[in-house]
Amino acid sequence: MTAYLDIILSGIFHAAVLFLIAGGLQLVFGVQKIVNLACGAFYALGAYFGITMVGLAIKYGISQELLIFILLISGIVIGLIGVVIERLLRLVYDREEGFQLLLTFAIMLLLEDVIRMIWGATPKTLGNLSMVYGQITLGSISIPNYKLLVIFASVALALGLGWILQKTKFGKIVRATAENRRMSEALGVNVIWINVVIFTLGSILGTIGGALVVPTSAASLEMISEVVVEAFAVVVIGGLGSMRGALVGALIVGLMRAFAVHVYAELELLLIYLIVIAVLIFKPNGLYGKAAE
Amino acid sequence: MSPLLEAIDVSKNYGSFSALKNVSLEFFENETVAIVGPNGAGKTTFVNVLTGLLKPTQGEVIFLGQSIAGVGPVKLSQYGMARAFQLVQIFPQLTVQETIVAAVISQKKKQYDFWSRSLNDKELVDRALEVANIFKLGKKMNWQASYLSQGEKKLLDIASAFALSPQVILLDEPTSGISTADKRGIMDTLMSAAKLAGIKAMLLVEHDMELVAEYSTRIVALAEGKLLADLPPKEFFASEELQAKIIGKKVHHA
Amino acid sequence: MKFKPLLILVVLIFALCMVPFVLPAYYVTLVLPAIAYGIALIGFNLLFGYTGLLSFGHALYIALGAYTVAIFTSRLGITSMELNILAAVLCSMVIAIPIGLLCVRYVRIFFGMLTLAFGMLFHSFLFKFYELTGGDSGIKVIRPHLFGQDLSHLDKTAYLIGPFFYYSLFLLLIFGFIMWRMVNSPLGNHLKTIRDNPRKAEYLGVKVHQFRLISFVISAMYGAVGGALLVVPVGLADPELAYWTHSGNIVFMTILGGFNHFFGPIVGAFAFIGLKDQLVTLTQYWRFALGVVLVLLVILLPGGIMGLLSKKNSPNRGGD
Repeated sequence: MTAYLDIILSGIFHAAVLFLIAGGLQLVFGVQKIVNLACGAFYALGAYFGITMVGLAIKYGISQELLIFILLISGIVIGLIGVVIERLLRLVYDREEGFQLLLTFAIMLLLEDVIRMIWGATPKTLGNLSMVYGQITLGSISIPNYKLLVIFASVALALGLGWILQKTKFGKIVRATAENRRMSEALGVNVIWINVVIFTLGSILGTIGGALVVPTSAASLEMISEVVVEAFAVVVIGGLGSMRGALVGALIVGLMRAFAVHVYAELELLLIYLIVIAVLIFKPNGLYGKAAE
Repeated sequence: MSPLLEAIDVSKNYGSFSALKNVSLEFFENETVAIVGPNGAGKTTFVNVLTGLLKPTQGEVIFLGQSIAGVGPVKLSQYGMARAFQLVQIFPQLTVQETIVAAVISQKKKQYDFWSRSLNDKELVDRALEVANIFKLGKKMNWQASYLSQGEKKLLDIASAFALSPQVILLDEPTSGISTADKRGIMDTLMSAAKLAGIKAMLLVEHDMELVAEYSTRIVALAEGKLLADLPPKEFFASEELQAKIIGKKVHHA
Repeated sequence: MKFKPLLILVVLIFALCMVPFVLPAYYVTLVLPAIAYGIALIGFNLLFGYTGLLSFGHALYIALGAYTVAIFTSRLGITSMELNILAAVLCSMVIAIPIGLLCVRYVRIFFGMLTLAFGMLFHSFLFKFYELTGGDSGIKVIRPHLFGQDLSHLDKTAYLIGPFFYYSLFLLLIFGFIMWRMVNSPLGNHLKTIRDNPRKAEYLGVKVHQFRLISFVISAMYGAVGGALLVVPVGLADPELAYWTHSGNIVFMTILGGFNHFFGPIVGAFAFIGLKDQLVTLTQYWRFALGVVLVLLVILLPGGIMGLLSKKNSPNRGGD
């Protein structure tokens, strides 16, 4: 039934975006052991900045075909704000996790009003630009090629990250620091620099996610707290700290949401949260996560 | 006389690795037993099984007629056995008084009382002071535990265990982290405390063989998961073979 | 209690009693949620400051209390505030026990995550099940009768700044006193040992697991009472009460007042509401200002307002 294909593709697209945000969360948690409640704010920043950049691009007559590249670049550029934020977070690395969490909550509040200051409180959209690459039609359903491109981009980023983490020296150092920060320090690793890079990379993943999503949905201030809800579910199901978990978790949540919306709208988030709780109870590590408790 | 505490044919396996092999021991009243052995000898495993922290793969642990295999720390204290660890454990934000009172509350089963002012309860406060004085902490009842000296923290750690009024107490390396000059002071305090607190038997895991020689009435030695020796100090230190196995050098004892 | 703090407390209570006579109606109605949050927060702090468990889902119980009152007054026609509060307490107890049983098996970040998850579960339930919960429109709250008195002859403002104000204050004093006794009791002593060193606590016979649950449930009940009081002036219970950011604000408020001190949470409630009120009138970017306050709090003043005040008074060393 082509209706299912529609749901599946929708779910995968949603998963592709979720993976980016959750991936950012996982990187930061894995290495720095901090749960970044401000991830939604980065997502929103990416979205708003993406819209602004596309607006500028159109103004300067840049070809609409370059949409996805503009958005990708916007995401990367605004994500660099992570460097500044990390400086602030650095002040609480040695403090209790409750305080770290609170600081990220504060950063979320700060960034929300920064966005409000720059872009105002009303949601912004890119109009019909999601159709700029045309669409694929299969029977009675059609999907914008843009969405397929996003899925492709997300997969490429996932593979790229995977390659960096597994195959490069840098990746090895990162994984080592994630396992044992003290040891890493003792071995001469510049942990300060690692923290900056990882946090910024995590922010960039979030901002790219936001930037890529705007042709298909509006950028709004509600995104900031709403996306945390789903990203959190992904990270718990996949397992805290695991990139593979972010991927699988995102697929599960994305597909689940797509099915739930279609079948019984009431269930949507409720179902996802029941699964989150079930995972936390029966397998607190999630599917791929590290030690619990 | 029946034993207070006994391990009956206790074995503990982790997969194919045997940490303990058929260890049987009995502990009686009025003993101060030193449990010795090289690291990795199964000492810690044995002590953990003996104090109900670990369930043995095989065998039984009986305390005052009850099986305590794997019961866990809370039940252990209820049965009448207390334990203190090598690494000093305190409640950083609580005062000396509150720390000891916590144990007295457990012992007197008052933990569900959510209305009385615990520091106004004579029963609790007096008993806590009594115990504190035994450990020479009586003058510092209102001190926050984190501000005590390392030695005082150790004493507080042990004092709170004593405040449970246990029949048997097991101390993991009570003098570790204490400077050599102070070690005997701590041991003397422990010995008199045990008498004053009505402790029936004291078990010590100890590496310092000079202290062992001086303070114990009986030495139990473990090596490679097996019971190597169970002797009074005189005989233990008379055997050169044993000493070589356990410590690798001769100890001059009084 | 020592003489001087007791005196300060009496003065403050007296000052609060005078509020409706001294301050304009607007500020009196601002004190109402401060009192409600005060109750909810001392409950929260029993779990956090005294037992060492940071919950990111306390808003669930506030919402539960609120919706209980809403349903009782507008759908079941039960207008007695006392019955409503009793219902809120029982309801929260019933819900907190199974949730607590699941959550207290874990500590630290996993506890935080589980509590957040349950909070969001409740939020989605409130939001989506329109038939039962009124969906995102919420459920109305009919003005309840206080101590059996039908005060409908008073207009809304007169009711709120008059009888309801003193009713709330009365509840704060009662519940505050009960909590005071609890934290100074043997039970409270054991909770503190759990906070400071759960492993050592076990070896002193403290029933760590059980007492974490007890703390969790009591904390929930206080949250529900707070929610019940919170919702009456507003006249509406809505799902946003259960949203995770509301739980985040609760933590914020507690840290602001000082989680290491009994009165910290109450101070935090008043300070936060007062601060927010002033900031909202000063700038449309009040969230940013609050964010800055939280940042400064976390980095420079983790002990909060009470932490600052206590540091000034007592010496660092042993003694009191």
